[in-house]
Amino acid sequence: MDDSVARLRWLRVPALLTVVGLVVAACGTSAPTTSNLAKDQTLRVNITTEPNSLDPGQEQYAYEGAVGASISEALLKIKPDLSDAAPATAASYSVSSDGLTWTFKIRSNAKWSDGKPVTGADFVYAWQRILDPRLAAPYADPFFDGTIAGAADYANLDASKPADVAKIPAFLSGLGLSAPDASTFVVKLQAPSPFFKWIASLWMSAPVRKDVVDQYGSDKWATSPTSLITNGQYKVSEFVSKDHITLVPNTNYWGGQPTLTKIVNYEISDENQAYAKYLNGELDEVNVPLANTQLVKNDPVLSKQIKFVPQLTLFWMDFNTRKAPFNNKDARLAFSKAVDRNALATNVLQGRSAPATFFIPKGMNGYRPDLGKTQDYDPAAAKAMLTAAVGDPSKITVDLLVRNITANKQIGEFIAAQLQTNLGVKVNQVVIDSKTVTTRLRAHQYSLYIGGWGADYPDDQDWFDIWMTGSGNVFGGYSNPAYDALVKQADTTADAAKRQSLYDQAQKILIDDAGGGFLYQRNYMFLVKPYVQGLTTTAQDFEDVGDWFWSKVSIGSH
Amino acid sequence: MAVVQGAPPRGALVSFKIPRGRGASLGLYIARRILWLVPVLFFVITITFVLMHLAPGSPWDKEGKQLSAAVVRNLNAKYGLNEPFLAQYVRYLVNVAHFDFGLSYQYEDQPVSSLILRSWPPTAVIGALAFLMIVIFGIGIGVVAALRQNTWVDYAVVGFSTIGASTPAFVLGIILIIIFSVSLYRITGGNFSLPTGGFALDQHLIMPVVTLATLPIAFIARLTRASTLEVLRQDYIRTAWAKGLRERLVVTKHVLKNSLIPVVSALGPTFAVLITGSVIVESVFAIPGIGRAFVIAVSSRDYPMILATTILFSVIVALANLVVDLLYTVIDPRVRLG
Repeated sequence: MDDSVARLRWLRVPALLTVVGLVVAACGTSAPTTSNLAKDQTLRVNITTEPNSLDPGQEQYAYEGAVGASISEALLKIKPDLSDAAPATAASYSVSSDGLTWTFKIRSNAKWSDGKPVTGADFVYAWQRILDPRLAAPYADPFFDGTIAGAADYANLDASKPADVAKIPAFLSGLGLSAPDASTFVVKLQAPSPFFKWIASLWMSAPVRKDVVDQYGSDKWATSPTSLITNGQYKVSEFVSKDHITLVPNTNYWGGQPTLTKIVNYEISDENQAYAKYLNGELDEVNVPLANTQLVKNDPVLSKQIKFVPQLTLFWMDFNTRKAPFNNKDARLAFSKAVDRNALATNVLQGRSAPATFFIPKGMNGYRPDLGKTQDYDPAAAKAMLTAAVGDPSKITVDLLVRNITANKQIGEFIAAQLQTNLGVKVNQVVIDSKTVTTRLRAHQYSLYIGGWGADYPDDQDWFDIWMTGSGNVFGGYSNPAYDALVKQADTTADAAKRQSLYDQAQKILIDDAGGGFLYQRNYMFLVKPYVQGLTTTAQDFEDVGDWFWSKVSIGSH
Repeated sequence: MAVVQGAPPRGALVSFKIPRGRGASLGLYIARRILWLVPVLFFVITITFVLMHLAPGSPWDKEGKQLSAAVVRNLNAKYGLNEPFLAQYVRYLVNVAHFDFGLSYQYEDQPVSSLILRSWPPTAVIGALAFLMIVIFGIGIGVVAALRQNTWVDYAVVGFSTIGASTPAFVLGIILIIIFSVSLYRITGGNFSLPTGGFALDQHLIMPVVTLATLPIAFIARLTRASTLEVLRQDYIRTAWAKGLRERLVVTKHVLKNSLIPVVSALGPTFAVLITGSVIVESVFAIPGIGRAFVIAVSSRDYPMILATTILFSVIVALANLVVDLLYTVIDPRVRLG
């Protein structure tokens, strides 16, 4: 048995959070010796869904990043504690004093899976490709067109208009991307962007080979292991549609060879089925279905295999501020104060999520729980506030839009019950299929919805930008010029302390305005087999805990 | 009418081109039925196309992080969704006429035809095996029950049919999983669960095939039993017995041939349903089949995939009905095609 787990049992640390910290620390320090390694170094995990694409320019979902981050390596890579971005394909980088020019030095031994060296030109090509409107890369906006010099025109180029298509070559060559020599990649930015190191570490920022794309076709190269030439620690050896994707080490990788010789990513969408496979020993880690939470916690064997990992994901009540009663700030605040987050976290979410009355989750620089006091649960004050703001609550009816997914429905039930009991308003739950919900949200045809945000990267900018006026990621139409001005200034401020204080002020405005009624932070509750050694989890994991750092994992004998 | 000398007799010319008699009319009949598929498919495509575009939501709508307006516009341009509805419809019809079913929206740029070719074989294999079981066991126990009416054999078959016909596939599938994949895991060694290792013709197919076949077996057994009992009471059967024929001859030559007519008409649609996939069985056993692919395509508004699977299903249903009609002529000489 893995000695870190044995040590754990002896310590009997009560708080689960501390346990996770210890496991990570223990694994990180005690390098597994070869003698206790299993013969078969295969890791079997569940990514839940078949990736639509493994082309870095086309990826957009977590289940794609889960594989993409292992096979394609960007310039930088997040550190496990998310404190900074560490060198990856780039050995180092420097930023000009005005903060506008970022120069990345690419490792001389960085190689593609076919043995060719990774060059600055590969990055220029990959990033130009993402900004080519004809590719329609999902995240061309905002990561790339919002930062790179000359890229802001992306929004004005319509790929369906021949006149615009003719302008594309000039647009791409005019971007602030260049490779003065094979080992240098220079990016010029629109404005100083202290958060750009995170953009450079996104899995979709990985390089792409022009000759491969030209040979196999832009739409085809990433669909077969033979043409999917990548530069990460692992490469794809097998695609079995709707079943699994197998990864094996990239023998040309600059950083040496990992212990795991095979990673099998299963595509099992049913969480109960995945859970049964874990119990049968067919998966090495699994997300615990919500309904099984207590069972797992009370099980003498399983309870020792729990990994509890807070995620940078936070949920809130999304008020449509264009409509009564939510066009009134006090009404929004009253709704927020009427929901008992502790009961929500404990009863509905089985103690797996942390209650929140603030916007920035734990694990980020901007985490300031003290700012959330304005939204604290206080049913009596809430009802008085609502009555004072918009009159008799019993005359108010709101529609709560809910996606037709079990977990969402349970949360919807709870919120509706709380609002009806504590405020005396009438809440209609509108439970419909997911696509229709999104369509209505985008068309602003709703009054209340439980929305949320998961970090793309652990920088406050990624969070605060979504509440700016006109943002497409919060549907409620919240707008406050003071908030916009603070965030705009903070986004481009290099001085960390000053930047933080600007974001703090912005967060206070957002909470006091009840732009959203903040509810809870999501945590991952996983089971991991005791023989999985060296698991390094982050608050930014994709589909499985530890999937950013499979390179550190090994399988102990069992 | 004057007959030109040297001209071949008309009849000879015609008979040289098309053989006469029963074979010829059968060939014509099949050709005509297959040609009828064209207007049928046209209606199917039209209705599906309209309904699909009426459904709210676009392929680019999703949960979580939203795509920006510029990206959505470029995606629409890439897949031709920016064109007027009618233009899209006409273009699709022209493409389908050339057997081009387009590219999937959900699985970036993969041809729908290759996605279908990948997901249909597992469904078809499981469906065909289940069908085989249904024919053998459904008809078999139905006939036996009728021949031994009011004995324990009959009661057992009727009991099974009643329970089998009222147990939904998801209940049966989950019960089988609980017993064989979870509780008896130590004994069965995981032999009875999917996937791990992809789809193959192995012991993993037992549970899905049994789950898929149980309800139709129950249904076909009841149908066979009822129809056999009715035939057994006919005068010509009494005559056959009176002639002193052996039981085997009476049953195969006289009873089965007549009692199977309603069964065959039920088996046709059953076959079509089986090989177009059961969403429930495929979900319960994680089979990468076309039933699931279809449901996922609908929920993600993958228009080309929805259309192509609907076309495939229509063709299969039409062909299954054609085969049933042809089989009628074999088992019932009174039936005439035309």
